[in-house]
Amino acid sequence: MLWGRLGRKLIAGTVAAAALVPLLLILAPREAQALPAFARQTGHNCVACHAGGQFPELTPYGRMFKMTGYTIGQRALPLSVMGVMTTSRVKDTTKSDNPPADFAKNGAGLFSSGSLFIAGKVTENIGLFSQITYDNYAEQGVAGDGMGATSFKGHTSADNIDLRYAERFIDANRDLIFGVSANNNPSVSDPWNTAASWMQYVPVPSPSSSQFIDGAAPYPGYGPGGQVAGLSAYAYLNKLLYAELGAYKTANRGLSFMSAGTNNLGTVKLKGPSPYWRLALTREWGAHNIMLGASGMVSDVYDNPEDTSDPTAFSRRKDQGFDAQYQYLLDPHTVTAQAAYMTSKVRYSDAMANQPSAFASDALGNMGLPNSNVSDTTNILRAKLTYVYRAKYGGSLGYFNRTGSTNTLNQTSGYDPTTGLITSDPTGALGATALSTRVGGNLTGNPATSGFTYEAFWTPVQYVRVGLQYTSYSKFNGAASNYDGLGRDAKDNNSLFFYIWGAY
Amino acid sequence: MKRACIILALAAVAIGAGCSSIDRSRSLANPNTPARTLATQVCSNCHEIDGNSTSPNFPRLAGQPEEYLVAQLSEFRNHRRADPAGYEYMWGISRSLTDDQIKGLAAYFSAQTPSSPGPGNPNLVADGKQIFDSGAPTQGVPPCSTCHGDRGQGNGQFPRIANQHSDYVVKQLSVFQRTDQRPDGAAMKVVTHPLTDQQMQAVAAYLQDMPSK
Repeated sequence: MLWGRLGRKLIAGTVAAAALVPLLLILAPREAQALPAFARQTGHNCVACHAGGQFPELTPYGRMFKMTGYTIGQRALPLSVMGVMTTSRVKDTTKSDNPPADFAKNGAGLFSSGSLFIAGKVTENIGLFSQITYDNYAEQGVAGDGMGATSFKGHTSADNIDLRYAERFIDANRDLIFGVSANNNPSVSDPWNTAASWMQYVPVPSPSSSQFIDGAAPYPGYGPGGQVAGLSAYAYLNKLLYAELGAYKTANRGLSFMSAGTNNLGTVKLKGPSPYWRLALTREWGAHNIMLGASGMVSDVYDNPEDTSDPTAFSRRKDQGFDAQYQYLLDPHTVTAQAAYMTSKVRYSDAMANQPSAFASDALGNMGLPNSNVSDTTNILRAKLTYVYRAKYGGSLGYFNRTGSTNTLNQTSGYDPTTGLITSDPTGALGATALSTRVGGNLTGNPATSGFTYEAFWTPVQYVRVGLQYTSYSKFNGAASNYDGLGRDAKDNNSLFFYIWGAY
Repeated sequence: MKRACIILALAAVAIGAGCSSIDRSRSLANPNTPARTLATQVCSNCHEIDGNSTSPNFPRLAGQPEEYLVAQLSEFRNHRRADPAGYEYMWGISRSLTDDQIKGLAAYFSAQTPSSPGPGNPNLVADGKQIFDSGAPTQGVPPCSTCHGDRGQGNGQFPRIANQHSDYVVKQLSVFQRTDQRPDGAAMKVVTHPLTDQQMQAVAAYLQDMPSK
């Protein structure tokens, strides 16, 4: 029945979108200004820079546009807007103590988010790509906080920022692009779509209202995440070798615009500069092109963003990634195969490592849980195969698999060894000091999460996209079944997600 | 770190202000940008610096007659050439070019030495050669060599077709046959009208790796 209701909503949404399309087609000039700011600047259609018109994936030409500093073309109005309407529905909403809070907005049509882009050529050598995003469901309240557990608060913050300077020295024997990027997210400066910042299904609405869709499933990422302040230098030689070296620090003081809109608690605090590097080999032949790459980052992240007074209260994270991308681009076909694999090792601070568990027993009922680990290793694999026909009709299959070390620190559910039941009363159980968490809980202490995402999309005009995604989980938080200790299975989180994306 | 950032930022600004050179500009609306600069900094992204493009999405320009290149860039600029590959990329590229820049770009690519992208489909080459040399008389299709030269080298308003990507040739033959998106190629509409898809594939396969006579 749930699926039936969603089906009707989807049909209604599709009909509404279909009704809108002829109007858009009438309004759309032939020389439609793709993602508008850059399209106005270059006069190009979206497909010139985006493979099969699917943002954010770039074509070889799109990559050159980016690497040469967004400076091709002529200065134009550097503003664009983007809006996303979505609805999502999770397979099971019954295995929950508080469905209205755990699955708030499930199945509801939402205006999820809107972005303002300031982007364009600044000088002969300097260009800017920046995005400010309003997330209509950024924050979900909790019971008793005045908002209530089923209410959300919207929020505006700095999203991706990439200000770059680029120079190109090219003659018959040599082609060297050199550039410097000031940006707020490690790898946002990268021109390949398998980089951590870019390998994602888009759009990604706030996970708080669509918590199990693909955008909320595991993706490779660097320790600090976004909203940090970085500077990197890069070079691309003879369309063969790309190298980038950068460093990131906390986005505060004069660089606080890099994390604008994010409060002190939410702003990552880094101890000292965190180095980032990237190497890639590329080759193009006929309608094919391929990239093989590696990247890495070492970052010292303070445990408590609001208190960095203790110089030892940080965890050291080392990320090591490998990625590859293949594209076949020949009108009317676009085929893309992508894979990214990242190993992340975390060494916890003394305050975080070797801590007693809040629970008395593990998933097997073993008493005397070990203290939390001194370090952890997590591996995330993402792979995706996409086909787009005539830059209009597309489909993709994605795979994600996160594995890693088991750590009682990850445990958010546990058994009471006396009763043999899951803890529900932290004061009554032997040794247990925490309530078990339902729906989002983790009984095993293992981060394993894996599954597939299937997507079909339609781009009726180049600045409108309608898509349907289905994400299925074979494992969630370390287990296929009863991952939260309260009976919820990984497949209960399977989610259907429908979106209408537009930009101008 | 802070000091390093400031120094790097200042260095970047200094480089930006001091080393910015019109000889390495990617500005398409500056009439002073030399054509050679546009060819190397912008056109080369798709057509390569020597005009021998790698991707068959983009035509090979090396050795094209100047007159043909001037005509095409002008047709893009005034939006008369409206095939998708044209308007998706070239309307934007050409919109602010001056006549002198167009002439300069045509001269640059015309002066480049053409090379073959590689062998065409070997099963089709013989049939393609037949059409190139002798046409398809029973269908009223004249030999390609009549206008495009006995080596496919082009002449004046007729483009060089030797060593063109076969996929690009097929696409353009289809544009001529099935659309009115290239009004300057009205003659080709008549020529291509009777051609089957197989014949288009064949002649394109032959042209791609056409031997120099």
